[in-house]
Amino acid sequence: MEYEIEEKSAPGREKVKVLGATFEEGRPQGEEDGKWRHKLETREEKLKYLETGERYWYGKDWYGSEKRKNPA
Amino acid sequence: MTEEKKKKSVDLASMALIDKASSDQVNLVFDRAEEMKPCPIGLVGSCCSNCGMGPCRVPLPRGKEETPEEKRKRRGICGATAETIAARNFARKIAGGAAAHSDHGRAVAELFLAAAKGEAPGYEIRDEQKLLQLALEWGVEIGNRSNSEIATQIGEKALGEFGRQEGELLFLRRAPLKRQELWRKLGVAPRGIDREIVEIMHRTHAGVDQDYRNLLQQGSRAALADGWGGSMIATELQDILFGTPAPVLSQVNLGVLKEDEVNIIIHGHEPLLSEMIVATAQDPQMVELAKAKGASGINLAGICCTANEILMRHGVPLAGNFLQQELALVTGAVDAMVVDVQCIMESLPDIAQCYHTKIITTSPKDKIGGAMHIEFNERNAILSAKEIVKVAIENFPKRGSNISIPKEKTDLIAGFSHETINYLLGGLFRASYRPLNDNIINGRIRGVAGVVGCNNARTTHNEGHIAMVKELIKNDVLVIQTGCSAMASATAGLMVPEAAAEYAGEGLASVCEAVGIPPVLHLGSCVDNSRILMAATAMVKDGGLGDDISDLPVAGAAPEWMSEKAISIGQYFVASGVFTIFGVNWPTTGSTEVTQFLFKDFEEMYGGMWAFEPDPLLAAKLMIEHIDKKRKALGIDKARERVLYDMTMRRELE
Repeated sequence: MEYEIEEKSAPGREKVKVLGATFEEGRPQGEEDGKWRHKLETREEKLKYLETGERYWYGKDWYGSEKRKNPA
Repeated sequence: MTEEKKKKSVDLASMALIDKASSDQVNLVFDRAEEMKPCPIGLVGSCCSNCGMGPCRVPLPRGKEETPEEKRKRRGICGATAETIAARNFARKIAGGAAAHSDHGRAVAELFLAAAKGEAPGYEIRDEQKLLQLALEWGVEIGNRSNSEIATQIGEKALGEFGRQEGELLFLRRAPLKRQELWRKLGVAPRGIDREIVEIMHRTHAGVDQDYRNLLQQGSRAALADGWGGSMIATELQDILFGTPAPVLSQVNLGVLKEDEVNIIIHGHEPLLSEMIVATAQDPQMVELAKAKGASGINLAGICCTANEILMRHGVPLAGNFLQQELALVTGAVDAMVVDVQCIMESLPDIAQCYHTKIITTSPKDKIGGAMHIEFNERNAILSAKEIVKVAIENFPKRGSNISIPKEKTDLIAGFSHETINYLLGGLFRASYRPLNDNIINGRIRGVAGVVGCNNARTTHNEGHIAMVKELIKNDVLVIQTGCSAMASATAGLMVPEAAAEYAGEGLASVCEAVGIPPVLHLGSCVDNSRILMAATAMVKDGGLGDDISDLPVAGAAPEWMSEKAISIGQYFVASGVFTIFGVNWPTTGSTEVTQFLFKDFEEMYGGMWAFEPDPLLAAKLMIEHIDKKRKALGIDKARERVLYDMTMRRELE
């Protein structure tokens, strides 16, 4: 796809070039288009994703607001 | 269109078919609602029929203040007060709703276990990652074991949750730590799913629990067993078997029916058989058979939550929600309507007689006089599905000439599971709710509202849902939806990314545009309200918005509720810390004390409470006020734009 470059004002500087919208035109076709979980192929990748992506429950450290709490 | 017809629905397709039904002399739910007014005593929860001495009626006196003496005498024959009677009725509604969701969960768990053991041909593990997730969570060894071995153990554990007698449900550990502690302190952490429902039925029997507070606490316990138990089991195991939903484009409204194809409507709540029907309808042999009968193909569409399930995973279009089930038949173009369980009107076979439609029941739990029954058997599901599709195909040539398919249909994007929201916000390498929390903190997004629930023939079809959701997004509140409510918003065009620019406030629209999501997200069926619990918990755990669900700037609503399931859902959201507002009517107003307990005292106990407001715009206003109250408590009530300082700006600071 061709990238759109826009010129925008930046504080204290001259105009800068920034990358515009990067979505592709058109409508998705079929139920497979939005599916993302197949990007994780092996069991190791899936477990690693759980540890990072779903770290709220499966990360090895406490996370976020509950980090400072004692275990319930 | 007459003024009277406008009051039945705000949907043009529905209004046209209500007119057609009238000229076809078909009696609809809308007509019955006009002919039969609700019982004014049952409506406010003041009628008790739990023993053979009644039914006893204990309504509040009309138009005058009650004296203490009158109140003392306002009792049932057994001596039960109006408070006990209202609380009993409310608790039994929770039991009914929790039983419905949870028995759905049990059916999924049974199929899951059979599939894991290789005893359910055609079913397989489609989402290994979620299988591993549950294994981690429930202490099931992964190692080098096969998916079948892991799934067998998970299936057994899941089934064990229904009959568990002591301890706590396994999924409670997903909730914020502070919330878990609160449930334990209040004595409402559910021990087992069936146990809490049975205990409500026991306590509400004549002469048992006669303290309304104690009854309603058990109501919370059973409702939590639904949301964090039966419903969550249904959602999670369905995801493993059929796939975790991801964004999918589809269409909604009765215009999705096709005049030149065999139309099969799938209606109900359990997607176990319908998954097989989806596969069978694409079978080339079946398509050829349809062509041999003069059709150009097979068109599947759904009604109610089975529809939401197959929409979320396959993009199968939605024909409509609860109040459109009869109208689908009135088109004259439905060759078969296949039903499983819940929210199915007994009037369907009668209406089908006026046209040519075959009504096919499939569950041994749900038979209807006048309908054809083809039983779903998990060990032979493909054969059941083929038989059903063949019945529809054979029926296609029998269509009458009185066919009218409305043109109305609208695009929508569905498939926003908790996992997908997390992925869309953060990407594959750093999936996260952080961007959502950040945009709530900086004020672009004011808060999040869950708008869910049914349709109700006592109020204008879809009007409450659409008005409330439009008002919320206009005020920068991101809306997440399930069930019939989601379908209503979809018909109004609110579930496409373009809706952000047209209907949402500037802040919400800018976030939706950046992420590429609609301002109103479809999270699935009514058991998928468990996905909303997960999203709320993820917001808490990501940080910056307090340390419990009750700290979040969020609110919930069911503006057109009608089923006991809605009451159970509301109660588990309230007990999880969410301000929840219902429309149409409120079933405890016969007792001021019980209503006060649910509307006020619950806030002190749970941080969440019930409210009632039939006007959807006023209800939205109350939700926004609650969201603002929570923003103020968090110290984020003033919008702050994050500014990235360059060196010049830094020097100016000095």
